[in-house]
Amino acid sequence: MTAIVRTEGLFKRYGRTLAVAGIDLAIDEGEIFGLVGPNGAGKTTTLRMLATLLRPSAGDAEIDGWSVTRNPDQVRRVLGFMPDVFGVYDDMKVWEYLDFFARCYGLPAAARRRMITDLLELVDLAPRRDDYVQTLSRGMEQRLCLAHALVHDPKVLLLDEPASGLDPRARVELRELLRELRALGKTILISSHILPELEELCTSLAIVDQGKVLAQGRVTDIERRLRFGSVLRVRLLVEGEALVAARDRLAGDVDVASATILEDGTIELGFRGDDAASARLLAESVAAGLPIVSFARAASDLEELFLQVTAPDRQPLEAA
Amino acid sequence: MTDVMSNRARGVRWRGPVAGLIRTAGGIGAVGVKELRGRMRGRRAFVILTIYLLLLGGFAWMVELLMERNASSGFGSSTYAGASIGQGIFAALLMLETLQVVFLAPSATAGAISLEREKQTLELLVVTPISSIAIVLGKLLSALVYVWLLIAASLPLTAVVFVYGGVAPDDVLRGYIVLIVTALGLGSFGLLCSSLVRRTQAATAITIFGVLVISIGSVFLLAFWGVMTTHDNNDGNGPVRGTAPQEIGYLNPFLAQVDVLCGTETSFGGWCSLESSLLPNQNGVVFVGGGGGPVIAPVAPVAVPNGKGIFIGPQGQAVANDVAVAPDAAPFGIVRDGFWPRSVAAWLVLSIVFLVLSVQFVSPTRRWRLRGRGHRQDGPA
Repeated sequence: MTAIVRTEGLFKRYGRTLAVAGIDLAIDEGEIFGLVGPNGAGKTTTLRMLATLLRPSAGDAEIDGWSVTRNPDQVRRVLGFMPDVFGVYDDMKVWEYLDFFARCYGLPAAARRRMITDLLELVDLAPRRDDYVQTLSRGMEQRLCLAHALVHDPKVLLLDEPASGLDPRARVELRELLRELRALGKTILISSHILPELEELCTSLAIVDQGKVLAQGRVTDIERRLRFGSVLRVRLLVEGEALVAARDRLAGDVDVASATILEDGTIELGFRGDDAASARLLAESVAAGLPIVSFARAASDLEELFLQVTAPDRQPLEAA
Repeated sequence: MTDVMSNRARGVRWRGPVAGLIRTAGGIGAVGVKELRGRMRGRRAFVILTIYLLLLGGFAWMVELLMERNASSGFGSSTYAGASIGQGIFAALLMLETLQVVFLAPSATAGAISLEREKQTLELLVVTPISSIAIVLGKLLSALVYVWLLIAASLPLTAVVFVYGGVAPDDVLRGYIVLIVTALGLGSFGLLCSSLVRRTQAATAITIFGVLVISIGSVFLLAFWGVMTTHDNNDGNGPVRGTAPQEIGYLNPFLAQVDVLCGTETSFGGWCSLESSLLPNQNGVVFVGGGGGPVIAPVAPVAVPNGKGIFIGPQGQAVANDVAVAPDAAPFGIVRDGFWPRSVAAWLVLSIVFLVLSVQFVSPTRRWRLRGRGHRQDGPA
């Protein structure tokens, strides 16, 4: 695999504020790469530098082999950018909007006509072709903006908080659309401060905070590398004293740091072990005769991890 | 699912400097088409054009009636009454159109870039390969096309003056050159304000203020300077030595039109008088005599001062040891085309300067930044 997006020591300084403090990223072709971090972490600044909208204070970035500082024109031809906040032109129809951007990329008339039809179908806006852009809903505008970023068939898509302000249905539709684009061979770099948004979608992640990459790699690798402890939830078919005895039995395991009975009768375990250790614990518990109904890792594990590594009083981590 | 992504976008790939020009032209076309679609959509633009022409026609008709009454109630021969009516209509139309251009051209461009910033559409535009030059020129030309359309549409109406006489086609040409270039210059000024200031309201206010300074401020300054240099109780000299530099008036399109209108006068009339009072040392209009005011010179060429302390001989040669020569000594000592071409040249040069600056301020990765502005615009994520 070759990295189609690569940044080396990317810095951006605004007066005394260091917005991006040496970010190194390597994104392979065909990936959906998530840039996740709290507000003010430097995600948007990083994306804007990659999109040639900002000049880095130091360092450089390459997209498809072109430098964002030395070859911005070539970079613009291989990437499509969707900013976090964007507006639409008044007095413009949906097809005219796409036609305008296609003209900006120098597409001939015949190719423009074909492209507009295809893209409107792709983003499910074909029935709104002749409507004015300002009459579209927020979700539709978002899809139109994504379509505008695709008019020149770019290799790389930079999407800054694409799901912000969307209702749940629109989020699901957007996610499906991005999966479709990945299947078409696009490399997608997507930023968000909401981890669950990216967790299911992305193949790789970088967690950024205070302008630095705290962790980077495959989602499963990051979890494994940075896990300080996870939460297991065990549901049993017993109540009362039997439940307390079961909790004490589980608390005695070498990898269990804490065991608490929740209000709904579920036992929550603070667990230090890995997947193999949790499998062992389950097997031993069943063998010991505990009537286990469900045994699972807490759903938003990576989010808890994210909160841990981006906490204000966190210990410095070695970036992956 | 469609085959959109399986087809590589077939954008034309150009190479070399010619290719750069073609690409820029394509970008100008893209922005221009987009802007004109917005401006010219529906009946609005054409209804405005019709109303404009009706008002202009009504105005010309009223001026014609006024001039006619003046001519019939005046003393002396009415031989040249037709000519003076023609000149009057021409002057009124030209000044009205200049007034329209002075406010319409910068207003049309004052929101061109700032509106894109306000609506947050500029980033979508600058991240395409389209150059900042193409964005700026596309915005300017699409705004000016409408202003120029109004100017062009008024031409047949202006041509009515030929029925009366007193105005030659080249006079009309001069006036329209001033109009077109003024529109370009003030349009560029509006565009610069728009690219400098984030808010359209502020950009428009600054633009209109600039227009007022140029059109009213310059005249006031010239008049004030003139009074300061000539009026004094004791020795005839004012507290300020020398004369007001005519460069102050270069950017005033009304003064340029006064010069054009002065050229239509066959005797020392109101426009020449106005021009000589504001621009006493300009080369364009040369008067014989002095002291108590301009005196109409005889038709035969005589030695006349050209305002630089140099006298022009009867054959147009410089009498003094300098090189200045009156280009076209007309009857009554008036030299045509002395001032307005300089005004036009000044606006052309300034237009280029304004446009270069606008390109810099539109470019997302520009090197010239106003202190503190970049931070606000490109704040950290």
